[in-house]
Amino acid sequence: MTELEAKIRTEAARLLSEGLVDVVVAFRKEDAPLRPQPAFFTNVEDLENLVYNGLCANNLANYLTRFPQETRIGMLVRGCENRSVNALVVEKQHSREKLTLIGIPCTGIIDWRKVVALTGEDILAYEDSAHTLTVRARHQTFALPRQELLHSSCLRCVHPNPLSADILLGEMLPEGDPALIRERVESFEALTRAERTAYFKQEAERCIRCYACREACPMCYCEECFVDHNTPRWTESGTTPAGTHAWHIIRAFHQTGRCTSCGACERACPMDIQMTYLTDKLGKDMWDSYQFAAGMDDQTQPPFASFTLDDKKHFQVGGKQS
Amino acid sequence: MKYILPKHELNALLERWSAEYAVLAPQKAGAYSEFLPFTAPSELCLEEPHNTRYPPKALFFPQSEAILKYKQNLGQLESIEAVPQKRVIFGIRPCDAKAVTLLDTVFAEGDNQDPFWLARRAETLLIGLGCNEPGATCFCTSTESGPFHTDGLDALLTDLGGEYLIELLSERAVGLFGGLTPANPTQQESVQNLQQAAEQALPKAFELDGLKDKLDRVFDQDVWAQLSESCLGCGICTFLCPTCFCFDLVDEAQRDTRVRNWDTCMFRVYSLEASAHNPRPTRKERTRQRLMHKYSYWWEHAGKLGCTGCGRCVRYCPVGLDIRAMLRKASAYESEALHAN
Ligand code: SF4
Ligand code: SF4
Ligand code: SF4
Ligand code: SF4
Repeated sequence: MTELEAKIRTEAARLLSEGLVDVVVAFRKEDAPLRPQPAFFTNVEDLENLVYNGLCANNLANYLTRFPQETRIGMLVRGCENRSVNALVVEKQHSREKLTLIGIPCTGIIDWRKVVALTGEDILAYEDSAHTLTVRARHQTFALPRQELLHSSCLRCVHPNPLSADILLGEMLPEGDPALIRERVESFEALTRAERTAYFKQEAERCIRCYACREACPMCYCEECFVDHNTPRWTESGTTPAGTHAWHIIRAFHQTGRCTSCGACERACPMDIQMTYLTDKLGKDMWDSYQFAAGMDDQTQPPFASFTLDDKKHFQVGGKQS
Repeated sequence: MKYILPKHELNALLERWSAEYAVLAPQKAGAYSEFLPFTAPSELCLEEPHNTRYPPKALFFPQSEAILKYKQNLGQLESIEAVPQKRVIFGIRPCDAKAVTLLDTVFAEGDNQDPFWLARRAETLLIGLGCNEPGATCFCTSTESGPFHTDGLDALLTDLGGEYLIELLSERAVGLFGGLTPANPTQQESVQNLQQAAEQALPKAFELDGLKDKLDRVFDQDVWAQLSESCLGCGICTFLCPTCFCFDLVDEAQRDTRVRNWDTCMFRVYSLEASAHNPRPTRKERTRQRLMHKYSYWWEHAGKLGCTGCGRCVRYCPVGLDIRAMLRKASAYESEALHAN
């Protein structure tokens, strides 16, 4: 057990035993190598199975909408998770008073695919430390520099610290460089139209429409997704280009001003499909047009969700022009 | 009969087959391998300790397939003929070949004679490659299969380092592999040792004996809610599974086409009825369905187990749910529950 894990367990035990929360959402020790599982802890004894390390890959805010509004939830949050929780509170998915956020400044999520690419699939055990991930495979033990293993979204992360945690565990980290995520979007924008189309097709057309990206995303909580709707149907049903293109474009659009660039969608995808280049582009547009970034507080409506009666309606024929 | 094929002759052999057959073999597609048409000189992915990411069931039962054309409002139907093509699927792993035989019990048994499945099946040879070193997520020896099992195969290759030992298993395969050198007794023995070592290296994932009864008995218990609490309800474990076969029929009216798409019991909408009633309303019922189908109902409808231990659902589940551990927990739950009563 690491020092941080011990602290998380102590806090979780306190919250549960003092009756301050009904459930603690965190991670459980893995069954399959490299894959700690999101878990709901409701009793103190079970906390001995709680783990926390760089392979805890899911955005736990995703589970917020699983619980009834009255449930008092304790939740482990890193920078992006805290922002997703904020965005969900803005959208009235849970009331902030019912949440106890246990914040952890995040040193980045390790992408298990990168580990596998460097070591092969035969991984039996691992140990995560400040700068190194030690991986034991059947014939060999590898000591891998952590920085080379981080998920691409984490490499461009701007806000690794939880913004509004109720309990903070661990040392605050320096903020990330906002130029990194901008540069990535700008390099996509700089491509010719044909190149952008080719890239989009190459990614989207590998899609098997398993919707893991949707299910892993905290902001995709619609009872009925447009893609499952059949009266009328909004997209072609199969894995044809028309079907996968529509899915990828509309899924991304629905994230406008809501996505926190956590990368959980890409980490869930079984086909290694890139999709944050679309949501990050929308994030940049939101910032450039409205100086808005999702989830920075739990009050401000995303630009496309707010309206006022004196809206200028630039986009409408006859709308006010300034 | 057992023969020897030096590895450096493999490409030439596949090229020779290509004159008569469409040859499909595992090749790199991004970070993973996939069955792709062989065109010389192709770099094959035969050394990996696991199977392709996307399951080869798709080569017989594509994820989306047009099965009927019609003219709206004219009452005209135009059937789509299954076009048989002579194919060799080379380098399929034993778990995946066995899965094809399991799907025969769905698409080609009794009254169920799916023309698309049958046409592809009849014209395809499966040439398998055994697994010298099964991966950490493989558990075929716990599911009535094994790293060198031959179910469904026309021939099985064993990697001996510099060469393959080939075991011919069907008449059709004899024609494919003409003119090879028979394996000598030393080679035959080293293959035997290698195969045994691989089988033994795989730990037992769970006890299959009596598992069905145990699962049946906990059908109503809370354990399914515990096991599925973090499940996302996505399509990964079932779409990538080589034995899952559920599909949905959709009329793509704008294309005048009826399409068959893979579907999955893990989706909420799968069991949602037109009345808005959902007999599997939560993840608990859906996860139970996935596990019970493979480990209980398959015995009932086909007299066989519905999982070949390929490990895909374990490797790619985005929340790390491991079917082996889920089955262990479900069967252990029974003893606790009975104890309490
Ligand atoms: S779209 Fe992807 S990156 Fe954005 S919030 Fe959802 S899971 Fe995170
Ligand atoms: S997770 Fe990947 S394969 Fe699945 S629907 Fe999303 S993009 Fe497609
Ligand atoms: S892959 Fe995992 S998360 Fe997705 S439905 Fe299967 S068990 Fe649930
Ligand atoms: S249930 Fe899992 S291990 Fe079994 S055949 Fe399907 S994907 Fe493979």
